[in-house]
Amino acid sequence: MIPQNHFLILGAVLFAMGLYGALTRRTAIGILMSIELILNAANINLITFNKFIGGPDGLGQVFALFVMAIAAASAVIGLVLVIAVYRNMKTIFTEKMNILKW
Amino acid sequence: MMNGLIRQLSDIVSNYGLPRDFVVQASFYVIAGLACVFAFGVVAMRNIFHCAVSLALCLFCIAGVYLFLNAEFLAVVQILIYVGAIVTLFIFAIMLTSNIEDRSIRQANRQVLVSAAVAAAILSFFIFIIIGAPWKTAAEGTATAPGLEDIGRALMSAYALPFEFISLILLAALVGAIVIGKAKKQ
Repeated sequence: MIPQNHFLILGAVLFAMGLYGALTRRTAIGILMSIELILNAANINLITFNKFIGGPDGLGQVFALFVMAIAAASAVIGLVLVIAVYRNMKTIFTEKMNILKW
Repeated sequence: MMNGLIRQLSDIVSNYGLPRDFVVQASFYVIAGLACVFAFGVVAMRNIFHCAVSLALCLFCIAGVYLFLNAEFLAVVQILIYVGAIVTLFIFAIMLTSNIEDRSIRQANRQVLVSAAVAAAILSFFIFIIIGAPWKTAAEGTATAPGLEDIGRALMSAYALPFEFISLILLAALVGAIVIGKAKKQ
């Protein structure tokens, strides 16, 4: 069967790609998409450890469910903030959102 | 031992005379590779609408990976929440904010090389740790994968309080989204 390490490496690769995207994207929407990738990598690790090491009554899967719910909430709030900023400043590029700087 | 959906599918495959382990492993690596390819598309494509579609496909492949981890319920929830709701939300946000789909607009900032180096360094560090670590693995067969019934029981008994807090967070996100997103009165 498929060894545990391969699932963990898949999670690490997805995390690294999400990190790269979050660091390089100019648009806030692109950064939010990359953060979704990072959260999915965390979910893969949680479920992998739950399967291979075991745990009390599916703790890893329950935690992954919580991560999904919080990811949904954060995506909603993030995208609404993007739309509110766009309405006020007519841009979604993060380097133009600098009116809090002096 | 595998159980669940993948087990049943591999039973069907082995009825056709194909080697079961090979088919399961090959399909896992194909799905994992597709997930990585689509994830790269999310972070590297220029048209942000294509990025959103690539994100949907990547999350679909991750749902397939959950099947190999005996987490059928989470696979279905992944498709419902992520592909069904979150990616749709991303596409709405892309549609509501104009002129970012143009290919001539640069999507990456000037830190591409540094960011790639940092990500590659962290990835190689992780892989080094993962390969070297003496993981404590349960013996084959003793770690039973939790079924849907176990998850439901856990959510309603041991983790009832975090479950309620999640509902509170979702309600707060709902109200906050309406308040922030509401247009100002002229």
